[in-house]
This record gives sequence, C-alpha cells and structure tokens, in this order.
Amino acid sequence: MGSSLSLFDIQLYNLIHFFDDQESVQKALADCPNLKAIHDKVEQTPAIKNLEDSNTMSSRGPMRLSKTYPHPQQQHQPPAQQQQQQQYQQQQQQHQQQQHQPSQFYQPTAPYPPTEASPNYGGDYPMPQPQIPSGYVTDYNAPQSQTAPSYNNAFFSPQTAFYAPSSQQQQQIPSNQPMPGMEYLSNNPLFNVGLNVVEQGMKDFTGKTVNMLPTEMKKSISSIKYYFAVDQAYVFKKLCLLLFPFRPRNWSLAYSADEPVPPRVDTNAPDYYIPLMSAITYVLVAGLVLGTQDKFTPEQLGMHASSVLVWNIIEICVLCFTFYILNVQSKLRTLDLIAYCGYKYVGMIAALSSYLITHSLFVYRCSLLYVSLSLSYFLVKCLRLQILPDTGGSQPYGSGGSKRRIYLLLLIVILQPLFIWYLTRHLIVV
Amino acid sequence: MVFTLYSLIEAALLGVNAVAILNEQRFLSKLTGGGGGQQGYPGATGYVDDMQNAGGVKQQLLTLIRSVRTVMRIPLIAFNIIAIIFLILFG
Repeated sequence: MGSSLSLFDIQLYNLIHFFDDQESVQKALADCPNLKAIHDKVEQTPAIKNLEDSNTMSSRGPMRLSKTYPHPQQQHQPPAQQQQQQQYQQQQQQHQQQQHQPSQFYQPTAPYPPTEASPNYGGDYPMPQPQIPSGYVTDYNAPQSQTAPSYNNAFFSPQTAFYAPSSQQQQQIPSNQPMPGMEYLSNNPLFNVGLNVVEQGMKDFTGKTVNMLPTEMKKSISSIKYYFAVDQAYVFKKLCLLLFPFRPRNWSLAYSADEPVPPRVDTNAPDYYIPLMSAITYVLVAGLVLGTQDKFTPEQLGMHASSVLVWNIIEICVLCFTFYILNVQSKLRTLDLIAYCGYKYVGMIAALSSYLITHSLFVYRCSLLYVSLSLSYFLVKCLRLQILPDTGGSQPYGSGGSKRRIYLLLLIVILQPLFIWYLTRHLIVV
Repeated sequence: MVFTLYSLIEAALLGVNAVAILNEQRFLSKLTGGGGGQQGYPGATGYVDDMQNAGGVKQQLLTLIRSVRTVMRIPLIAFNIIAIIFLILFG
C-alpha cells in the first residue's frame, strides 16, 4: 500500500483486534466497507504484516505483539506503535527495560490534536482526554530528541484509552497524582525530562533569535537574571524584613568567589522580583483606592503605572548623578541601586492597604510613619556595608570621603519616605 | 502627578539644551578659575582626597558639563529637529 497511516487507522485496528470474539467482529466489519478498508490497509502495512506473521495472531489483542522491527519506509507510525505496545506490555509485566527508541514521537493527527507547549511535563496528557489518568504515559524513556523537531513529551497513547486502569500501573508510577497541577511538577521525577525536551524544542525554535543579540545585551541579560533568581522562602523572608527589620541580625552579603551570591541563597542580596511585583501591586491598589472613591477610570491605571516608571527613572538618575558628582567609588552597582530603590513600594502598599481597610487618616499617617521608619532602618543597615568605607580605616585621607558617603547614604534614605508620601498622598481624601 | 514618559523625555531634552548653550568664555572659565586652583594644592583643602576624589565637586561638575557639550553637540541638533517636527505635527 505504501500510504501513510494516521493515528485513527491504528486505533481502529487496535480496537478491532481488541475483542475476543473475532468472528462477530469480522462479520460486523463486513457491513462497513470503509472500516474494513482501513483495517485491511493497516494489516497490509509491511511492518504489521511481519508482526502478525511472527506471532500467533491471537485474539488477545495487539498488546502481545512485542517484536521490534525497524520499518524501512515510514519512520513515524509503526515504530511508535510498537513502542506503545512495548510500553504497555512493560507496564503490564512490570518490566523496566529501557529500550531507547531514537525515533521521533508520533505527533497525533486529528482527532487528537497535539497540544504544544502544554505544561504537562513528563507524565501528563493533553486536555482533550480528561478522563484518562495520567499514569499511563509516564513510563516513557528519556526521549532526548537530538533531531530538530522535538515533540511534546506528553504523548497520549491512544491504545491505553481502551484498557481499564490496573493497579499495577499505578504502583509503578507512585509520584503522579491523577490530576497533576503545576504544584506536583517538582515532585515528579520526570519533570526534568519533560523540561529538557521542551527546552530543546524551544531552543531549536528560538535559538536563532537569542544568539543574534549583541554580546553586551547578553551580558546584561544574564546579570539581570541574577536578580530574578528568587524563591518563595526568600521572598517571604525579605518581606518580613522590610516590614520589621529591627531584630538584631547579620546584614552582610555573602560572596562566592568574588561574585555576589544569588538571592535564593542569601537573604540579604537585592533582587528585582519584589520591587517589580510590588510596583505592579501598587498600581492595582491605587486603582482600588480610587474605586472606593468613585474616581476610577481605566486610564488611571495607565497613568499610575507611567508615573511609577517615571519617578523611578528620575530617582535613579538623581542618585547616579550624585554618585558621580561626589566621586564615590563603592561596591554598589547601578543595578543594585535600582533594586534598593524599588523596595519602597512594599511600604506604599502597606500604607495604602491600611487606609483602604480603615478609611481613617490617623491610621494612614501612623502606618506611613512606621513604614518610613522601617524602610529607612532597613536601607541604612543594608547600604551601610556597601557605601561606607570599611571600618578598618586604612585610608589616611578617608575623612572627606566618608563624610560624602554618609551624606549620600542619608540622601538615599531620605528620598524613600519622601517618595512614599508623595506618591500616596493624592490618593488620600478625607 | 500625571507624569508621563514623554514629559520626562521633553524635560531631559530641554535640560541638555540648556547645558549645551552655556557660554564657554564668559561663564565656564570663570568657574574653572576657582576650580583649577585647587589642583595645585592636593592636601590643602578638605575637598581634595587624592586616592578617591581627584577633582572635587566643582571639578566633577565642570568635567561633566564639558563632556556633555562635546558629546551631545551633534546629536542634539537631530533631537531638536525631531522634537520640533513632533510638536508641529501633534501639538
């Protein structure tokens, strides 16, 4: 025949051979010429013919066909089908042989449209088949596709749709829950597998564009990536620190080989995640406050966002300018400064939320005062180690320099409450 | 409070224009007279700190102004033309 088999054909073939009572099936098939034609077509395919000839064609179904024949022409379907059969057989017999099939995964055609870039790594299934537990498709070998198109690892095996779940399978896949969400991804041992496959695919897809960037941009991208290397524990600790920094603790940054350690490891390191998220949250909370006063329009959100951006730019420019004018050389990089100046939005959100909840000016002023105090304390403690010279005092002319540095530090620290007050006062009525 | 990005760009352009049109003869050399004298006496005043601070605030400012003028003379012409066209077209 030589024509390509679609998934539907294979499924039909499996279904036909699933039943024990082959005679009645064949009789029923005779009534539907279309289906019979498909069935014959699949049967005539050389690979499957070889399979059937070698094994006794029993009515136990295609799961007994376990030989692997390298298919001469069509690389996609039959090896994939054999692999499906093998997989299922392995699951049934609790075989853990890792037969590494170098073939590409068969991308299912209609009626099972492929779901690309779905977050179903290493053991999930595409959305069209919600009734199938995900346990079936997890025992795939690490399909590191070295060839160019790498398909989604969440391959839905159509055969397994016809078989009832058995306890054997679920025992072998203990880490999967029936309906895994994103939170189970970290427990899934095959998460890395799926992630690698998708990463490979994305690299093939977007690799050209990333490599085309000039080297300076790549360097700055990687240095910005440092600031986003956070995790939940860090964020929580940092937020608590911003709101209550008065406990005695060690404020020095940790270094590893002269490079600052990423924020995930060291709580004292600056990051960009908290400033970015709190700036966005501030815009939203400002919208909320305006809404309670019946002054909200969608343009206000955009105006607040742009004013946040602009005031940030102004502040950073003023501070960098001051650094340059006073000729202060410090360990503080500009990127770090941007991060430290972004921490005030947390305080702004706290003050605004307190106003939102209580609608009393007194509470707002108190929270403003407290937030300013704690932020100033936090910044003094953090920046003191970076801007001020070492307390070893090895500089004979150090007095002038350190005076400037103290003034600079004071400037930074004074600017923050000013901004907090200025950016929230127009929202406060009453 | 309504502070858009465009107003920031406008303010920056006007500021750089202001820096560019300072008259060298009448204004800047007068300032330099005061600032240049300090160079000769490194340890005399409290402002000069050899290792860290070779210029003093005034010196730094003057250096900054001079470098801005040198660098931005030509591009400023282009930016101003663009701003003029933009304002004519869009008010």
